[in-house]
Amino acid sequence: MAKRNAGEIKKFVRERYASIARRQSASCCPPQSSEAASCCTPSAQETSPAQRLYSKEELDALSVNITSMGCGNPVALAELRPGEVVLDLGSGGGLDCFLAAQRVGPQGKVIGLDMTLEMIQLARANARKLSMDNVEFRLGEMEHMPIESGSVDVVISNCVINLSPDKDAVFQEVFRVLKPGGRLCVSDIVTHGELPPQIREDLEQWAGCVAGALDEKVYLDKIRAAGFEKARVDWVSHLVCGEEEAGCGIEAGLGDRIASVTVKAFKPS
Amino acid sequence: MKKDLMEILACPLCKGPLQLNAEEEDEKEVVKGSLYCASCSVSYPIEDTIPNLLPPEVRNQDREVA
Repeated sequence: MAKRNAGEIKKFVRERYASIARRQSASCCPPQSSEAASCCTPSAQETSPAQRLYSKEELDALSVNITSMGCGNPVALAELRPGEVVLDLGSGGGLDCFLAAQRVGPQGKVIGLDMTLEMIQLARANARKLSMDNVEFRLGEMEHMPIESGSVDVVISNCVINLSPDKDAVFQEVFRVLKPGGRLCVSDIVTHGELPPQIREDLEQWAGCVAGALDEKVYLDKIRAAGFEKARVDWVSHLVCGEEEAGCGIEAGLGDRIASVTVKAFKPS
Repeated sequence: MKKDLMEILACPLCKGPLQLNAEEEDEKEVVKGSLYCASCSVSYPIEDTIPNLLPPEVRNQDREVA
């Protein structure tokens, strides 16, 4: 981290996402829900990132209105199997956890980790409404995961790792908690080329998933440095966070340098 | 917190096992209590069924803010 210290960034991000949880709507991205929110304008509904990222079947299967701030659909690419243990980093309102829980079934388990109490409370309320028994949410940091080593089959995450000021620690922790042969399948924001320094220093831009984003090559190199093999980008989109929407955190003209990717990597067996 | 997910839990600092101390339970889960790490001598609270496993200095920082 150049000038901002890690504690300052985390505190800002936590407070920002706590306030989002309280409002149950996103600032980084427009509100996404499995039901069309009545407060949305018709155009916002038509271009909802939830509808671009998730299939109608996936959203229809969840009967409650769940806010998501994702930039991809890691569950769709994770090839989850019944009985697997899944860990979601930055679980937010729980949408990806619930989609994963349906795929791993009653013999499987899904753990959502989030550093914001308000998000955990929101996710738990959603889990209760959905009567999902194989999902559990924990308040904790992804740089210091409260998870036993070698206990998880798949780590997923959706537009969250960019928010961490210490991504090396995050990938090392992911590697530690995975079982041998386990896999990482995460959607995140990466950059293609340099961003202006004033963007990098802006806490608003950090909370908006831009300032903390790494170059795609650096991102993959950090994953490999943690011990992973076969790290690759499985999906890429330049249409991230509804960049045509106001308040997205992405300055005009930077759209071609910011991409949403879904990355896969494997812990050696 | 559901008891059957206890096995996957670890101390966020030393990654060692945690000891569950349940003060209040319903049919499904622990409502109130704590998780204790003997090697770090740190206790992590469970409040409203949510285990708070943030590192202690982060938890205290939040308390100052609130």
